[in-house]
Amino acid sequence: MTERPRIIVTVGPDGQVRAETVDLLGEKCLDYIAVLEDLVGGQVRQSEFTDDYHRQAQTTRERNIDRDVDPA
Amino acid sequence: MSISILLVPLALAGAAAVQAAAGRKADGQLVCQVQTRMRDVTLLEDALRDTGATVTATGETLSAAWAAGAATFTRGADGIWAAHVTGVDQAGAVELMTRVDAAYGRRVQQAVLERLRAQAPAAGLRLESESVDQDASVRLVFEVESERA
Repeated sequence: MTERPRIIVTVGPDGQVRAETVDLLGEKCLDYIAVLEDLVGGQVRQSEFTDDYHRQAQTTRERNIDRDVDPA
Repeated sequence: MSISILLVPLALAGAAAVQAAAGRKADGQLVCQVQTRMRDVTLLEDALRDTGATVTATGETLSAAWAAGAATFTRGADGIWAAHVTGVDQAGAVELMTRVDAAYGRRVQQAVLERLRAQAPAAGLRLESESVDQDASVRLVFEVESERA
């Protein structure tokens, strides 16, 4: 059975919050930015994409290249 | 992993930083004005009590008294509290406000954790585990029960 995606939230003693999504591939992870802002009651100060986002983007690009090749 | 973000709760105006400027009142008493990052009055009152202060609220002003030193807090137009510290020198005022800031950070941490635990289920997140790191950070792992359409 496939494991469900996870969100890891770390709340520091200075009140700042770091969050990472795990196994949410591609742009699905972006949906959770607003969810996390709402849950924390705060605003995003910094964000960066990590491996899964790029992995999904790479897969999509490879599929597009395959489609563009003329089989003839 | 797909995205990593840094969030700042609305109770905080930014990263921890205490800036002070000293001046003298007409009677010669040294007053240090300290700009804080604190926005939430309830959390500020709790934080002041955590540092051992006796706290009095009068209208839009908070007064705190310690064994050494006292502070009057007023809120700026931007909603951020500033402190006017008396009874200590500038270095003492910064040290005092750094303690208050640290206590305030811990209060914000507790408030954010309570909010996350209470509201995450409604957002489709199930709390799978919770642990405390060596630096007193609290790590919550949520399982995404149903991905958003």
